[in-house]
Amino acid sequence: MQSSKAVAGRRLRFDQIVTVFHQDMYRYAAWLSRDKAIAEDVVQEALLRAWKSLDALRDDASAKQWLLTIVRRENARYFERKRLETVDIDNLTVSQAALLATVADEDIDDMRQAIYELDDDYREPLVLQVLMGYSTNEIAEQMGLKRGAVLTRLHRARARLRERMSTQ
Amino acid sequence: MNCEEYRKAISAEPSFDGGAGHLSECASCQAYRAEIQALEQRIGRALALDVPELVLPELPDVEPDNVVSLGRRRGLSPPTWLAMAATVAVAAVLGVRLIGGGAGNESLADEVLAHLDGEPRALVVTDIAVTDEQLHEVLAPDIAQMDHSAGLITYARNCVIDGHDVPHLVIQGREGPVTILLMPEESVDAPVPLSGTNVKGVILPVGKGSIAIIGERDEHLEDIQQQVVNMVTWTT
Repeated sequence: MQSSKAVAGRRLRFDQIVTVFHQDMYRYAAWLSRDKAIAEDVVQEALLRAWKSLDALRDDASAKQWLLTIVRRENARYFERKRLETVDIDNLTVSQAALLATVADEDIDDMRQAIYELDDDYREPLVLQVLMGYSTNEIAEQMGLKRGAVLTRLHRARARLRERMSTQ
Repeated sequence: MNCEEYRKAISAEPSFDGGAGHLSECASCQAYRAEIQALEQRIGRALALDVPELVLPELPDVEPDNVVSLGRRRGLSPPTWLAMAATVAVAAVLGVRLIGGGAGNESLADEVLAHLDGEPRALVVTDIAVTDEQLHEVLAPDIAQMDHSAGLITYARNCVIDGHDVPHLVIQGREGPVTILLMPEESVDAPVPLSGTNVKGVILPVGKGSIAIIGERDEHLEDIQQQVVNMVTWTT
């Protein structure tokens, strides 16, 4: 039987990690799923899974990558379970549209829409690089790609965004 | 470096600081660089979605030491193992849930699968092999010798199971990553099946130790099991 001190210490560690990285978890889930409600579900599942396996995280310095990897897997599992179809950009659900809810800045709205419409293969490395601060090698590891493939996808992602935004 | 190479490089990594010689002589690329860096600011602002308030799910009680201590497991009689094999269904990262309440956290099966939760990077699908140096570092000569016949080894790390350093290797199967834990200090009397929502596996008795092999539910583990057993020789 574990002591109450051990229980409290474990919970404190979890709370500290989650508080720091919750924003990253949600935004990553949101850009992976492109759906506000699904992102919230995925984060909840990821938090639960992280809690159960917290003792196996040996180095808190790796917590961000550890949590994002769990989010990625939970997102994949969610879509596997639901067998969701590809997002039809012209017929978004309420929850999908909620992700693109307009903000005061029209430029952000336009860019957000353009990112939303990127292929998954291009959007994910872009999110990992720009939002999460991952290096190219870290993205390659996370996505199971070679470094060259990551560079190509990042180049193409920005080329598409540049082209799209130049026509706005 | 020419214009095309430079533009590809900086549009893949806006922080790219190579190609200084080319950049200093090419006004067009200087303008392109400025454009990409401005674009980057806009991308960053757009990606920063508003985040709802953190609401934690209901967190179940968790035994903190589910990754250690197999003391009470040792010495279990074969009938007990058979009973455990029948009732222990374990699950870890890939949708793993304990099925049946008879499995204690002290079981080796439980520990092995709980360990996977802590190694999410081991479950990445990849075709990038670890280097010989990495493999050599993990596979200390005093633990085991092995050849590469089982397939592409894409992950190698020393992990701790029951207080012992255990080489944790991953090869790529037909359906995804297959985890291999070489456990020369953990003996089992008979194969211990592992089963989860999306994973399956087995802990095989091998000499005085055992080897855990876990893959996706649709993976053809039988062939892999034989290859792994054949390629490992304990040196402990």
